[in-house]
Amino acid sequence: MKSKFTNPLFSSYIKNEGLFDEIFDDNKKVRKTYKKIFELYRDHSNSDYAALNEKAKAAFFNQGITFQVYRDSQTQEKIFPFDLFPRIIEAKEWKTIEKGALQRSKALNAFLWDLYHDKQIIKAGIVPMELISSSANYLRQMQDLDPPGGIYNHISGTDLIKHSDGNYYVLEDNIRCPSGVSYVICNRNALKRALFGVFNHYQIHNVTNYAENLLEIMESVKPHGVDIPTCAVITPGIYNSAYYEHSYLAKTMGIELVEGRDLFVENDFVYMKTITGPKKVDVIYRRIDDGFIDPLEFRQDSAIGVPGLFAAYKKGNVSLVNAPGTGVADDKAIYTYMPEIIKFYLGEKPILNNVHTYHCSRPDDLKYVLENVDKLVVKPVDEAGGYGISIGNKLTKEEIENVKTVVKENPRKYIAQPIMSLSVHATYIEDSNSFEQRHIDLRTFTLLGNNKEFVLKGGLTRVALQKGNLIVNSSQGGGSKDTWVLKK
Amino acid sequence: MAFDYTIKYKSNNTYENPVFEAYWQFMIIPENNVSQKLVFSDFKTSVNARIEKSINGYNFQTARIHCKQPFADIQFEAEFKLTKEEINPFQFTSKLEPSQEFEAINSLNFKVEHESYLTPTELTKLPSKHIDLYKFDPSISILDNLVALNKWTYLYIYFKAGVTHIGSLLNEIIEHRHGVCQDFSHLFIAIARQNNIPARYVSGYLHQGDGFFGDSQMHAWAEAYIPEVGWVGFDPANDILADHNHIKVSHGKDYNDCSPIKGVIYSTGKNETQHSVEVTYEQ
Amino acid sequence: MLARVANNLFWMGRYIERAEHTARFMNVNYFSSLDAPNKLSQSRKFVLQSIATMVGDVPKKEKDLSEEDIIYNVGLNPEKPYSIFNCIKYARENANTSRDSMSTEFYESINKFYHYVNDFPKELLIKSGLHDFTTHVIEQTSILRGRIRSTLLHDEIYALVLLGINIERATQIIRIIKTKHEDAQKALGGYSKPIENSFEWTTLLKCCESYDMNRRFYKKTPNQNTTLEFLLLNPNCPRSVMNSLNQIQNHMATIDSLKERDKTSAAFLVGKMRAEYEFKTVEEIETDVSKFIDYTLQGLANICTKLDYEYFNY
Repeated sequence: MKSKFTNPLFSSYIKNEGLFDEIFDDNKKVRKTYKKIFELYRDHSNSDYAALNEKAKAAFFNQGITFQVYRDSQTQEKIFPFDLFPRIIEAKEWKTIEKGALQRSKALNAFLWDLYHDKQIIKAGIVPMELISSSANYLRQMQDLDPPGGIYNHISGTDLIKHSDGNYYVLEDNIRCPSGVSYVICNRNALKRALFGVFNHYQIHNVTNYAENLLEIMESVKPHGVDIPTCAVITPGIYNSAYYEHSYLAKTMGIELVEGRDLFVENDFVYMKTITGPKKVDVIYRRIDDGFIDPLEFRQDSAIGVPGLFAAYKKGNVSLVNAPGTGVADDKAIYTYMPEIIKFYLGEKPILNNVHTYHCSRPDDLKYVLENVDKLVVKPVDEAGGYGISIGNKLTKEEIENVKTVVKENPRKYIAQPIMSLSVHATYIEDSNSFEQRHIDLRTFTLLGNNKEFVLKGGLTRVALQKGNLIVNSSQGGGSKDTWVLKK
Repeated sequence: MAFDYTIKYKSNNTYENPVFEAYWQFMIIPENNVSQKLVFSDFKTSVNARIEKSINGYNFQTARIHCKQPFADIQFEAEFKLTKEEINPFQFTSKLEPSQEFEAINSLNFKVEHESYLTPTELTKLPSKHIDLYKFDPSISILDNLVALNKWTYLYIYFKAGVTHIGSLLNEIIEHRHGVCQDFSHLFIAIARQNNIPARYVSGYLHQGDGFFGDSQMHAWAEAYIPEVGWVGFDPANDILADHNHIKVSHGKDYNDCSPIKGVIYSTGKNETQHSVEVTYEQ
Repeated sequence: MLARVANNLFWMGRYIERAEHTARFMNVNYFSSLDAPNKLSQSRKFVLQSIATMVGDVPKKEKDLSEEDIIYNVGLNPEKPYSIFNCIKYARENANTSRDSMSTEFYESINKFYHYVNDFPKELLIKSGLHDFTTHVIEQTSILRGRIRSTLLHDEIYALVLLGINIERATQIIRIIKTKHEDAQKALGGYSKPIENSFEWTTLLKCCESYDMNRRFYKKTPNQNTTLEFLLLNPNCPRSVMNSLNQIQNHMATIDSLKERDKTSAAFLVGKMRAEYEFKTVEEIETDVSKFIDYTLQGLANICTKLDYEYFNY
């Protein structure tokens, strides 16, 4: 149903029934948290807003805050579209998110320790062994290796959505190399420049303390016997899609950004090549996937890794953040066991909801999935970046049959979930020069260290810019919003 | 009875174009275990580079070379001396009844403990059409089953060098029925695992004084786990249990975990590698 | 500082400087030839030959010298490593890899500059845009140098960029002199000493943005003697080789402070070359100009080899 709003920017805003709108309540009234900002936007004409939007875009492009997209062996430089209408999360609501994200990270860490030591959760029959042994991300080299401080997933990204019932659900946990945190900070800076007036009306938590906390986390897991550790960020190089983030983090932490060729291993210690000779490195935040970190231990064709790095790690002479082998626990198939995992290790009830998941590896579930492809989201368990996902109600008959065939061929590779309706937020759409409803999600960032933990009070709100699209990943044409966590 | 072994390992690598920088990792050092003790080891290389000892991800010793000066060929030599005890095959007899043994290997705890050596890898995966190539007999002991499998493998494959390579998959081995010690071992391991027996690939040296199969390179055999007994070595290329002639270097899920030489070379063009191994002993 | 980052900073400096010299050389030669006093200096082929020589890509046959090709190749051709487009692209890539040591302001300038060059239409450049394009490149490089000076910490990062800029400047000046010296031998002047009074000396000074300064300093029409003396030996001329060598030595001292000096080190070579230059006279140089040019080019190349070995080895 259609309805008009007095603000010209909202003149074509259509509020769909059945979707949770973050700004307007069911009576089409602006929610309390958004009242002030909505009033402020009332002062802007369409053209004012278009100009602000252009300015923000140009600033991102000129500062080179861009990422590369791979398609058909070509790369393109793009800015991550940024929306000037912030997402606001109330203090009370945030408290639950923060507690829940921390709970999940801790449970995952305990799970990883167990998987690489006694495997009690498997012996207890809670998580099936096949999920572990068939996972390409299960690194047997990590067996019985004790990472400093007992920490595996120093950095976790938790992807959440708000369903039409108004509750948050976790969609997935990212504990390999979760990216996006640099955009959280850049979005805040961009919004501050464009709309500084708004900030007077809201008390918002600051997000720039991420880098200092990350550095403290890295230092907290320094190798035994090192006083003041030398830390570094390792990147695959300037052509990596997240290179901007790598350089941003290195710069704000004040540590070196290295590539594999800058490092070498001698006597199982790691050194970087500087203009004044070799310098020992103690803690490495690695933004290179497990398989590529050391060609002598893992993929021999890796040109971006450091030969001998794993041996140095195993000896405890260098710490890696995140630890190798974390990927086994953020597999989408493991996700479905999260409530049990939390209960097993922490003896707690999960604070954040899990979306119900059907495992195609289970005969009963497989049967249900094959019969209900049109009502489900079917995902491969080990693909990142939103690739290979099919959303049932968007498929043609023929496509549904295709999905059935691939799932039947390799059931272990797929899971299915009910189609969750992501909440919607007012998002500026250039083509119509006005605000429209678009689906959003939220990625939070949690840090775990040796006797230290931190959840960034803010996060990355990603927007699906295509109408009706439920996939909010940046490589699939998503944008982002500044995310405000209110102090009270 | 103890044997004093001397092992000489030589490798010669030549490159079409000069190499600017290179890393090699050799996994050729005999391990220390109950039946063998390393008493001496020495390494030499023709290039001006340090040789460092380290351990790999699976806790086996490695020797690593990092060469930073350009070169076109490199020689690497190693010499080991060790003492080896005679192995008594009767020590492997289990106290359990066959039915108890099979019960033990089917327990969840056992499966979890030995997960690494029960899960097929690319090189030890039986093609689905050959999945029932060889079935264990539950009425006899696991040891007897494995001895029979050892003989079966020995008879099934014809030893033929140069027809398979390190990446050959089991489908090819099973259909053409030829191969070298690696292929015998991979087939043995695949079948043992298919029958729920943990099995692992072993890389090492074989003393060839008594006319065994193998070649003047490194040898490969298999180890299988028997409840209440432990790991027992089987050499399917020679239809024997591993004995004092088998000097173990490393084990793993398959060849890829035990590759004796790994290199990262910054160069272009073709290269050639030659190895030779000489094993002698005094009693 | 990482050896790789040091190398990238050094080359970023070199590429920025190279872009400027290439742009100016093309601009000045092309436009001053239009009203040159003698036929040869006015000839299109002669100018194109000169530009092609400068970038080191002379077609085998003179008939292959096409104006459109040469302007496109030197200006925008992404296939030619010497093109101004590639200089800017490489400079930006080098800046990218050392982005954590750059200022946001500087990075923004080089990024914008790259997008300008990248978006410049080929057709426009060939038909009517040569002046606009080269002038913009020259101006943008000055802005970049200004940003480097005013927004980077004057520590080893700054020293390395400036080291690159000055080594490239000395090299480019010498190469411009070499090209124009060869031109001058072809296009003789109208007076008693033909080579020494060629019109090409004026072009040379303009190529080095030093014509006005030279006139001020000598108060007469430039000739071989005054031009060479000014561009090679005058320490106060900001474009002279002498001036570059002085700066190179200063910046070397910043990065060299931790190293032991020996007679094969880069710092030693720089000091030696600088000292030789300080007490050189133009009369000595004029006995064999080509030989001195080659000697200088070789000296600069040796310094770079040493720098590579001592600082940028990764």
